[in-house]
Amino acid sequence: MISYLPYPVRIDDITVETEDGNLKTFKLVLENEAERQAWNHVPGQFAMLSLAGQGEIPIGIASSPTEEGHLLFTVNRAGKVTTALHQMKVGDRMGVRGPLGNGFPVADKLKGRNIVIIAGGFAFTTLRATLLYMLANRDNYGKITVIYGARTPGMLLYRDELAQWAARDDVDLHVTIDREAEGWDGLVGFVPTIAGEVGPSPENAAALICGPPIMIKFTMPPLEKIGWTDDQVYLSLENRMKCGVGLCGHCNVGPFFVCKDGPVLTRAEASRLPVEF
Amino acid sequence: MKGLILKKDNLVPLLRKIRKGGKLVAPVQNRHGDTLFEVIDDLDRQQLDLEHQAQSSLKPFFFPQNDPLATYNCAEDYSFEPVVSAEPTVYFGLRSCDLTAVLYMDVIFSQNGADTLYFARRKEAILISLGCNQPFAHCFCNNTGSGPFLEYGFDLQFTDLGDSFYVEADRARGEELLERWSYFFTPADEDDRKKQYQAVLEARSNFRRTVHVDPAVKRLAADPDLQPVWRELSDRCQDCGGCAYICPTCTCFTIVDQPLAETHGIRLRQWDSCTFSGFTRMAGGHNPVNHAEQAIRRRFLHKLKIDVEKHGRPSCVGCGRCVDICFGGVDMIRFIAMVNDLKLPAEEK
Repeated sequence: MISYLPYPVRIDDITVETEDGNLKTFKLVLENEAERQAWNHVPGQFAMLSLAGQGEIPIGIASSPTEEGHLLFTVNRAGKVTTALHQMKVGDRMGVRGPLGNGFPVADKLKGRNIVIIAGGFAFTTLRATLLYMLANRDNYGKITVIYGARTPGMLLYRDELAQWAARDDVDLHVTIDREAEGWDGLVGFVPTIAGEVGPSPENAAALICGPPIMIKFTMPPLEKIGWTDDQVYLSLENRMKCGVGLCGHCNVGPFFVCKDGPVLTRAEASRLPVEF
Repeated sequence: MKGLILKKDNLVPLLRKIRKGGKLVAPVQNRHGDTLFEVIDDLDRQQLDLEHQAQSSLKPFFFPQNDPLATYNCAEDYSFEPVVSAEPTVYFGLRSCDLTAVLYMDVIFSQNGADTLYFARRKEAILISLGCNQPFAHCFCNNTGSGPFLEYGFDLQFTDLGDSFYVEADRARGEELLERWSYFFTPADEDDRKKQYQAVLEARSNFRRTVHVDPAVKRLAADPDLQPVWRELSDRCQDCGGCAYICPTCTCFTIVDQPLAETHGIRLRQWDSCTFSGFTRMAGGHNPVNHAEQAIRRRFLHKLKIDVEKHGRPSCVGCGRCVDICFGGVDMIRFIAMVNDLKLPAEEK
């Protein structure tokens, strides 16, 4: 039965991720032992962050199910609830309702394949969850390539972890920023350009792409040029949502409910949706 | 299914008995002359109205406009407690279209795991419908397969035979009610059955308009260019949401928190309408459905295309209430006529 009741959680830690202060990662711990034990999600799923008196917002789960004992959500301050959330402190309590939707098929179609993760800006969150999951189950996947870009070095998420992944020899990591910046000696250029330069092979591979629509649009041609097809590209959609269970009618694109049939789908599936955008 | 006869003189005494055993809801004419479904407290004071179409449907009883999902408390324990209230209720005098709409809502709210609040109320409900011998001004349920009489789906269905009602049961709860109050009823004879059949036949020929629903559904399935239709309808839409609120099958909702004090309050779900400009707007202002044209499109295609694909039939039940409520004429009958009047490329030669 659907009841819409969130689980109580405690904010265990807050990390300011970006130089503009607009992105914070909230580490949440489920307060009830039974709920902590029962919680299970797939990378790519989302949950409703529930602030009593303020409302609920759908946010991708940034932690991997292999990180036990807590959940991570990286939240951009954009509206009423996110602004209230950004004002909360460690130790404060709130609610979480989920996990919701379909994640990336990490235990199914992606198994045994070479993985290319392409992310732009703060859309890296559920892909961080996916990457961590894959690294914890490293033998299940072939080559893992990560291409991640942000406007400036200070706008990159998870900078400590990026440094750790860069040091590993089982991840091919390409981090880029839009324009030259003082103190930055890494890649410079937009994500689509870097994706073209890296030129990951489509052979037995899947690409997971999250970012602004414009980035996804321009990332596809260089990939298509080297043989990538829409059915091996996974995207994650975002729309206004209220219920998260395919009822309230806000997020649907034609017959497709982003909250329940998505948010993850292949580009081939996305192209069959009725044009609404 | 064996029929029974209830003398009209026995209707109010029967309803009195039913009311003593639980809640009774029926169409009542108020002092303003409006006919609305109301909870019956006093059959002497409230004027039962079986002559006019109720302006409201049963939707608010199963899916209220403001429906508490939970109470919250963030003082000591941070907690959300469910709010479920339902009591045995007999709904009398609903029409075939409204009953069909409830059956449609059953389908919607049973998707993806049943909705607790809706089914708490639905399970306590007995639905007694009254077929329409004389369809009302904007009715077209004969074109949507939802009336004027039904073959199944009701607990009890009444047919007006003049000085009595012909009563038939389709569900066990209806049968039980007939058994419990059996002394009000007498068995129907062959003559009654003929009269009932005659009433059904006559009702079908009494519609004042024909709305070509099926041809429109077929055309929409072929994805014609409807841009001129959306443009005209959106020019006339005032974005009031009245059509969605009055529609017995519109079930879109939003969820809002209503603080009662700093530390506690209620989380409600509230009716919403896809024609509202903020319906699809995200935090930060991005709106994938940005124009009134697209919102109107969303509404009509949901009813006549997507629901056909998903559930095998359009979710319009032909009650005509959207015709009554919209002064801009952005209603189902006009939309269907516009779709059927479109020149399709295959026909232009």
